[in-house]
Amino acid sequence: MSIDPDMQDDPTQPRPRPASQPAVPSSPLPPPRRAAKLQMSRREFIGVSAIGLAGLGAAAGGAGLDQWWRHGGLGNLFHGPLASSMQTGHLLRRAGFGANPDDLTTYRSLGFNGAVERLLNYQQTSDDDMEHRLNALNLDLNRPQEQVRWWLLRMAWTQRPLLEKMTLFWHGVLTSSFRKVGGRPGFMRMIIQNQFLRSHAFDTFDNILLGITADPAMLFYLDLAKSTRTAPNENYARELMELFSLGLGHYTQQDVTQAAAALTGWHLRGLTSVYLPQTHNNLTKVFLGHTGNLNYKDVINILTNHPAAPWFLTRKLFTYFTYENPSTDDLKPLVDAYVQSGHNMGTVMRTLLLSPQFSSAKAYQARIKSPVEFAVGAYRALNIHDDGSTLPSITTLMGQTVFDPPSVAGWPGDKVSSLWLNSGTWMTRLNYIDAILVRGLARGGSPRPFDLQGIVNAQNLNSPESFVDYFVSFLLDGHIDSARRTQLLDYFTSRDTSAPGAHITLTNGQSYPLSRVRGALYLIMASPEYQLN
Amino acid sequence: MKLSRRAMIKDGLLVVSAGMVMPAIFSRGVASANVQALEGSHSAQVASDRTLIVVQMAGGNDGLNTVIPFADPLYHQMRPTLGLADAQVVHLDTRLGLHPNLAPLKQIWDAGHLAIVEGVGYPSQSLSHFQAMDIWQTLDLSGNGREGWLGKLVSGLVDQDGHPFKALDIGVQTAQALSSINAQVPTVSSVPAYSVYRDPADRDGGNARMQALMNLYNSYPKTAPYAALLDTTALNAEEGSRQLHQTDAQYQPAVTYPTGPFAAGLKVLAEAIVQGLGLRVGYVTLGGFDTHANQQQTHGALMAMLANGLSAFYTDLVKHGKADNVVVMTWSEFGRRVEENGSLGTDHGTAAPMFVLGNAVSKGIFGEPSSLSNLDSNGNLKYTVDFRSVYATVLDRWMGASSKDVLGGSFGSQNFLLQP
Repeated sequence: MSIDPDMQDDPTQPRPRPASQPAVPSSPLPPPRRAAKLQMSRREFIGVSAIGLAGLGAAAGGAGLDQWWRHGGLGNLFHGPLASSMQTGHLLRRAGFGANPDDLTTYRSLGFNGAVERLLNYQQTSDDDMEHRLNALNLDLNRPQEQVRWWLLRMAWTQRPLLEKMTLFWHGVLTSSFRKVGGRPGFMRMIIQNQFLRSHAFDTFDNILLGITADPAMLFYLDLAKSTRTAPNENYARELMELFSLGLGHYTQQDVTQAAAALTGWHLRGLTSVYLPQTHNNLTKVFLGHTGNLNYKDVINILTNHPAAPWFLTRKLFTYFTYENPSTDDLKPLVDAYVQSGHNMGTVMRTLLLSPQFSSAKAYQARIKSPVEFAVGAYRALNIHDDGSTLPSITTLMGQTVFDPPSVAGWPGDKVSSLWLNSGTWMTRLNYIDAILVRGLARGGSPRPFDLQGIVNAQNLNSPESFVDYFVSFLLDGHIDSARRTQLLDYFTSRDTSAPGAHITLTNGQSYPLSRVRGALYLIMASPEYQLN
Repeated sequence: MKLSRRAMIKDGLLVVSAGMVMPAIFSRGVASANVQALEGSHSAQVASDRTLIVVQMAGGNDGLNTVIPFADPLYHQMRPTLGLADAQVVHLDTRLGLHPNLAPLKQIWDAGHLAIVEGVGYPSQSLSHFQAMDIWQTLDLSGNGREGWLGKLVSGLVDQDGHPFKALDIGVQTAQALSSINAQVPTVSSVPAYSVYRDPADRDGGNARMQALMNLYNSYPKTAPYAALLDTTALNAEEGSRQLHQTDAQYQPAVTYPTGPFAAGLKVLAEAIVQGLGLRVGYVTLGGFDTHANQQQTHGALMAMLANGLSAFYTDLVKHGKADNVVVMTWSEFGRRVEENGSLGTDHGTAAPMFVLGNAVSKGIFGEPSSLSNLDSNGNLKYTVDFRSVYATVLDRWMGASSKDVLGGSFGSQNFLLQP
């Protein structure tokens, strides 16, 4: 028997996956021939900076990196500050979804601090183009699959990348799922929650928690709408403390039941919510050392002012945006910013992005890309403009469906990014790249392969080297060690002994088999380095 | 394709002589297989045809409405709307019975191959889903453990044989129980998705591109971020997808599996067992058990999925002559509060029953159902059986492993499996 989505009301753990939908007709590989052992020593790893893209200015910082590789090798790469040429790419991956060449040009021209300010002061950048483009798709936001597509395309097309990234961060913390939001009449609640998180992404933590407590999707998802004056439901009260604000160890089961009583009074009214004081439990509660006829405002106020809250919250932020397992010293400036700014998340994020830790070599490529970062990042980097209709099912197979986290704790990979990667999700990543390059992400119709010849012509790519360097410049910050660059070039120029097929002609007049040219780009995006954020 | 040990070694030797790219984890495996072949070793084969299937019931399964103490008036008193009437319950004995939708399991019980371990928990049980899940999977009672108990078990096995399917996890994310510092478990969401697609422009079927890609992984500096993870993931996938697809093409299930991902996952596991992929530990998750509100319908549907899936899986194995070699064990991070809440649901609880089934399993109720009259201060059951004693039993008496090593201590055992 099957379970429909509203019935499987599951804030914890897996659930039916959509039937796997290969983006490309499935054709498993026959056993490959084994490659010859590579003759390469550690000493030969020398960074090369990509050239060939005017305006990206990769060369200067690249030289700095070369020095690192040469002196002391890789060990030193993970200490000290990041080379400036890598900084913008790093910033846009973490505070956004990666960059296409135009993004890099725009943000590099502002300098690092200017780039951070542009990201934070997102109101100053128009996103009308994205809105128009989304409107033109006529998506039905009452349908979960289209909700997913709507948000992923926002991320891919936005000129306000940090706003979308921050919204995604909040979604992973203060999370709800369309699996348990009231079924068909309630699906729109997910969009309402999403708009709330977006419009308050940099607000005070107090306002964010107050809003999410009253949020219709959350009221349904964690059963606060079912909680009554005489029979308070514990679900929201527990997760509010364990997962949203304090963490385990800072409250007791007694605090859970008392908070549950204090939080009563909220009700759903269709797609909105209402607080009815007469339905609030008016007894005296004792909650985290505070006594009185506490209500939801008191509970939130007590939590956001609890000494554990800023540490809990900034640990999540730091882990998500910088690197895992931060030290107390790493977090202290963020905790101070939280307290001094009256819990303002914009101030905390500015402190985070401008911190030496954020721009440290230790933070560089320190996380595995999440499925959303990987899928949206590739889509954005290659300037794909199709309707993205297969994006939702592909990201699901990679292990992440927005609006459908695996549990109320969000995605485990947000905390420990290595959890995103296993044999199955790795192959899905590869197949996604294959799909983008070979047929595009629109469902049905004739394939719309990635227009390589157009790029070659527009960018005047006149040699295999310039081709590889062009894509490495914005996909890998212009950095790949020389031996590995040679591997890509060898593949590009290797003979295709089969019958002649399609070709790509570089601007020097030389033609290469489509399989090799497209394959070289595939290899860059399937490479170990490209899996990292 | 049946992959005999011998065929694998032969393959391994051929591969070695060809001087292929071979990351350390795999070359160790081939070397050890080589040594075993030369010594004609039998010791490494002990219990090697035995498989453990672990079923996670995620969200906190309501144990009291799974194995029901129908004869206890307190049960009906504390569950005025959610309690199941005596007439609905599938009676096992004079005091306990199964949820009506678990009827397919009653057949396995009647055949003598189903054990129920009652009252399973641990000291100071956590009411947090996530801490409780961590504890069940890593056995670190502080909830801060990283390595899973099954990960510890299979990491050695994978290294010995270099065989990708010693363990197999169904899903998109590897279960924490299977996480390991030095091995990676193939994680399969579906057979069709478990493959690398080729570019139709590639006239050699994608061989050259895949070879170039494996070179990029093999030459990725070992000190670079996530080097070991990336390297083993790629190898695991490249090797495993070929084997799984060869297997899948030849597998004929002997039953019709129910629809849905849980049963589909069990079918992949059956396939790996029947086709001889060398599976030792299989893992599959059924989620949706966190029934704070409107529990009856949800829980009933889940009970049906569980029983119908397991019943199909077991029957498939019986018909393929493999049921003697497989033991299935279920677990959930906690049971639920004895007294129902005001939302027609139940809140987080503690002790709950586990199912163990297979031809090698002795039928019966093991352990003791927790008393409904002697609850803890939160109104939850007091556990009577430590979950680690159940793990220990499976490890020592079924897997031929040392439970002391895997679990880091001695926790006793239960008698649902005979002493070897």
